[in-house]
Amino acid sequence: MRDRFWVPLAGSAAAVTLATLLVWALTSVAPTLSLGVIYVFAVLPIAVYWGVWWALAVAIASMLAFNFFFLAPVHTFALKDSANWFALIAYSVTAFVVSELAADAQRRAVDAEQREREASLLAEIAGQLLGVERVDDELGWIERRAAEVLGVPEAKIEFGPRRSSSGEAIPLEVDRRSVGTIYLPLRADPNLQVRQRFLPALAALLAVAVDRSRLEREALEAETLRRSDLVKTALLRAVSHDLRSPLTGITTAIGALRNETLVFSDGDRRELLDTIAVDADRLGRLVSDLLDLSRLEAGGAEPALEVWSLDDLVRETIEHLAEGDRVDLGGESPLVNVDAVQIQRVLANLIENALKFSPPGSHVHVHITATRSEAIVRVVDQGPGVPDTELERVFEPFYRGGRPSGAGLGLAIARGFATANGGRVWAESRPGQGATFALALPVVQVPAELPA
Amino acid sequence: MSQRILVVDDEPQILRALGTMLRGAGFTVDTAATADAALSAAAAHPPAAVIMDLVLPDGSGTDVTRELRTWTDAPVIVLSAVGEEREKIAALDAGADDYVTKPFSVDELLARLRAVLRRTTADSGPIIDVGELRIDVPQRFVSRCGERIKLTPHEFDLLRVLAQNRGKLLTHRMLLREVWGPSYQAEAHYLHVYVSHLRAKIEPDPSRPRYVLTETGAGYRLVDPDES
Repeated sequence: MRDRFWVPLAGSAAAVTLATLLVWALTSVAPTLSLGVIYVFAVLPIAVYWGVWWALAVAIASMLAFNFFFLAPVHTFALKDSANWFALIAYSVTAFVVSELAADAQRRAVDAEQREREASLLAEIAGQLLGVERVDDELGWIERRAAEVLGVPEAKIEFGPRRSSSGEAIPLEVDRRSVGTIYLPLRADPNLQVRQRFLPALAALLAVAVDRSRLEREALEAETLRRSDLVKTALLRAVSHDLRSPLTGITTAIGALRNETLVFSDGDRRELLDTIAVDADRLGRLVSDLLDLSRLEAGGAEPALEVWSLDDLVRETIEHLAEGDRVDLGGESPLVNVDAVQIQRVLANLIENALKFSPPGSHVHVHITATRSEAIVRVVDQGPGVPDTELERVFEPFYRGGRPSGAGLGLAIARGFATANGGRVWAESRPGQGATFALALPVVQVPAELPA
Repeated sequence: MSQRILVVDDEPQILRALGTMLRGAGFTVDTAATADAALSAAAAHPPAAVIMDLVLPDGSGTDVTRELRTWTDAPVIVLSAVGEEREKIAALDAGADDYVTKPFSVDELLARLRAVLRRTTADSGPIIDVGELRIDVPQRFVSRCGERIKLTPHEFDLLRVLAQNRGKLLTHRMLLREVWGPSYQAEAHYLHVYVSHLRAKIEPDPSRPRYVLTETGAGYRLVDPDES
């Protein structure tokens, strides 16, 4: 604070001294009275740097110095000639007016610079906020730059209702709608004009950004809802179709058998009974698949873990399949800690899927490999393969990519049970060369020496 | 020689049950599981009637119906499911004769099948008798039990179209197109008003129609009360 007094004082004294020396040096080449104008050059820089009051002081000091050193009688403050009085007053007024003009220009320059800073910050904020999704993430740097522009040490911006109580709270409002609050340290005393000009503009920008991110969020939520609605509708249609088809087979066969006007051979009669049996079986499987799926999605499929030899599980699964004689098994015999029923379900679904896609009579190969950490069962078929784009989609419930029959639940259930047992299921394929479906399970580490 | 029925459905079990049932009813049966197979089967052995699922793996029953209609009048009955109402109407608009909703009863399907077959065998000449109604198309003259019924031109045209397609389910769109012309296909309220006028004149008890029957959400059909 002391510098605000001593530095201008020293500067002013230096200016008057320098001007006086210059006048003294020039008295031999120019009329003394006209040299008074030199003091104007002492007043000007003082006015520009320290303002009009220091300039006034310098002007008076200059007048006194000129009178004292150069105007007769010299070395007194008295004046011999009245013309000298006139010159002295004219120089003083000139010095003062010029200094006032200079100081004003300087004030304008500072002001313009400040506006320039505000405008460039607002432009920067506007540009940045256009690209961001969440305004909150950008607040840090906006606060720092706003503090700079307001000339305060720090600023804090909050959206929503007023929360923190530290510092001076200034509401950010647009058209009487509250956007948030900016907190400034007490007694930071930002320039009132800057505050009135800058804060509403900042508020308007933030309001636009807040609105935009809210609209985006709402649009996203609406879109998510719409899509889940679409999925539900598709599921409902798929389920109703899959339930209705076997039901139609059954009701048609029963209707035919009960209609006494129809005449059937023994073979036809047996065929109708077969239809009923097969479709009832399909219905039963579909219902249990749906139950499994809903149990898996609700996280209710707690596996009962036990240690098994993986090849035993695979072998037993194959033996229970209707077309088990079309399946070859080879490879290693790693130990796995799994729920046998669930993993056999996974294996059965993978192998049945492979059989369904294989040309009639062709074989499906099942191969087991083991690394230190994982056992992998690969089920390889000779079907048409799976395009790259479908490798993940085949595991979605009710997805059936040109599948001959079935509800499209098998692979989804397989993945669900595999995951519940700490494993993974995925598909590998080159279109036209058959598909490989793989199940990986964590292996049980066997101690090198079994206890005797 | 028994009549040949083409059954089209992508569900092998339904195909098998329907085939066996129809053979038991004395028909010769061809089956097809896809739209393509249906069209080639129909071309190889022209069927007397077609029973077809609306949704096929390689197309829709509507497309197959439209294709068949370019060269055969063999009646088509579509098998539709709840939730497929729009497709059902589209199939009827494309020329299908009737529909049953899955799961259907065997008796209902057989009754519909026999009705559409009877219709194609009975050729409709210039004078059409439906129960007690007589419609003289060239004279534009309608009578019931010999007693003249006076109809406006549109009412007559409506009755004529229904009678010429007697027993067949005609969609709103078809009736509007036939009676009022192609630019009126969306004006279903015209149709409802004229149907109620027509019923008032030709039905013995207009509040319980026996000739002009409503198929809710689909259209109208004219039947002989003594046959149904």
